Amino acid sequence: MRKPPYPTVLKPYGQALLDLAKEREEIVCLSGDLTRQCEIDLFRDALPERFINVGMAEANMMGIAGAMARQGLIPFVHTFGVFATRRPFDQIVNAIAYPSLPVRIVGFMPGVSSPGGPSHQAIEDVAIMRALPNMTVIDVADAVEIRKVVPQIVDLPGPVYLRLKRGEIPVIFDDDHEFFLDRAQVLESGEDVAVIANGMMLSSALLAAEALRGAGISVAVVNAPVVKPFDTRTVEAVARGVRAVVTAENHTIVGGLGTAVAETLAEAGLGRPLRRVGLKDTFAEGAKTAPHLFKKYGLSTQDIIDAAWNALGRTDSAPTAAPTPAETGEYAPV
Amino acid sequence: MPSSTTTSEVSISRFADTIRLRAVMMVAPQGFGYLGQALSSAEIFAGLYTHAYRPGHDRLVCSPGHYIIGAYAAGVEIGLLPEEALLTYGQDDSDLEAIGTETSPAVDLTCGSLSQGLSGGVGLSLADRIKGEAGRRVFVLASDGELEEGQTWEAAMFAAHQGLGALTVLLDANDSQVDGPVSEITTVEPIAGKWEAFGWHAVDVDGHDPEQLVRALDETGSDPRPSIIIARTSTRQGLACLPEDADGHFIKLPPDLAEAAVQELESRLA
Repeated sequence: MRKPPYPTVLKPYGQALLDLAKEREEIVCLSGDLTRQCEIDLFRDALPERFINVGMAEANMMGIAGAMARQGLIPFVHTFGVFATRRPFDQIVNAIAYPSLPVRIVGFMPGVSSPGGPSHQAIEDVAIMRALPNMTVIDVADAVEIRKVVPQIVDLPGPVYLRLKRGEIPVIFDDDHEFFLDRAQVLESGEDVAVIANGMMLSSALLAAEALRGAGISVAVVNAPVVKPFDTRTVEAVARGVRAVVTAENHTIVGGLGTAVAETLAEAGLGRPLRRVGLKDTFAEGAKTAPHLFKKYGLSTQDIIDAAWNALGRTDSAPTAAPTPAETGEYAPV
Repeated sequence: MPSSTTTSEVSISRFADTIRLRAVMMVAPQGFGYLGQALSSAEIFAGLYTHAYRPGHDRLVCSPGHYIIGAYAAGVEIGLLPEEALLTYGQDDSDLEAIGTETSPAVDLTCGSLSQGLSGGVGLSLADRIKGEAGRRVFVLASDGELEEGQTWEAAMFAAHQGLGALTVLLDANDSQVDGPVSEITTVEPIAGKWEAFGWHAVDVDGHDPEQLVRALDETGSDPRPSIIIARTSTRQGLACLPEDADGHFIKLPPDLAEAAVQELESRLA
């Protein structure tokens, strides 16, 4: 694993999908008028006969994708996460999830990573996709995970919602990083507190763990990109070995990763103080840049540190996150 | 056009009355149900199953899931499901739910949440194009109430843009939705003009006239544009015994009325 600031790459998803589609003729690529933003200009330019721009018509796009999947094709559907889930929810339910068709819905610009206001922020997409029977829900952290996850989801029998950061994608993991659809990964072991994170909050969790360790706390870090089906076994095992649990997600704390962990702990009868870092049941307003929103709404590295400190019952002042200045083209968590 | 009644038209009329009879018998045990949909669409289903739709080759989408009762009835006539299956219609654990599901026989795709069928038809047509499978028609049964939903128009605009000539919508314009006549709730007219403006070939017909339906089904098969057959119908068609104020969306059918309906249809079919 690298340390922040992380190098970034462009269009790792677009390249991974194109590489796969060159080998798999059943793959078709649908765009909702956000082709370059969803990195699929690569697909459009190389395989135009399997690329369909449905335009700004997400309800229609989901219906088309479901019907194509019935004919043996594997549609990858692309738009921003808000428009991929919030707007065509009923269509996803009826045309895709209920018949359990192999449609891959790829939603870009997760959570508060968009300074575009609440209309453009997918803050409950994980919750509503996770509520659907048959749906697999994945929120990956970096370019290596993206490269690994695309070939792994192509042959799943049912639908998938894949949540991806837009733009410059950090490279956190080494090339030999292993990615499993059925397993959360214990990246670091520890005995005091476990931080369970995914997506854009994973790098924050790693940085928070470092600061906590500097203050003498033994921290476990778990990467849980697959929110559904959720690897309850790993989470339960890690939680058993610590005194407190913190979750971190770029999403509302209602219905996403934090909720999945809460359900796991409760069903296992594990009484551990739990703190959920994420949007506290609020929409996010007032930003020129995304980092401001991460800070303003409590999704920063320091918020994870403070949550762990609080969960452990510490009343003295918590350690502070090490500053990680990033040059242009680099990425560091907020 | 003066016309002598052909064998095909007689058989469509008989087929339609058989659909009506089977629908009455499916709804009767519960005393109410989606009979109006079967009555208005009986000739449409009959025309499709006897004249146009080739199961296993073409595709048939039933967009308003409430109409699936007509497909169940027609499916028995052409051997797609056993007659006994109709006895389970709408009962616990039946594959034949009253609003279409993934277990519904006799169609290739059914929707329940309204106005999603045309997008499905577009997807089926596009899949054929991508896979290089030409020569297949894609029929979408839709209803005039569904024109109120925006998704219909997303799909209509896109189908024309893509030039999906294999796609034919059969619109049951029965002027009926849950709260009453469609025309009292939203003005959907002029229906043909709207679809023509969207780039479609539109034909307006009497939806209970087999000759007009057959001609429209033939004609739309050769037009390079996507086509819509607007079939003007009534939710009380073919059952004189129904009260004039019968609720077209959800007809009440108490035992005495059910008996009268069966007698009326059986005597016509005799």
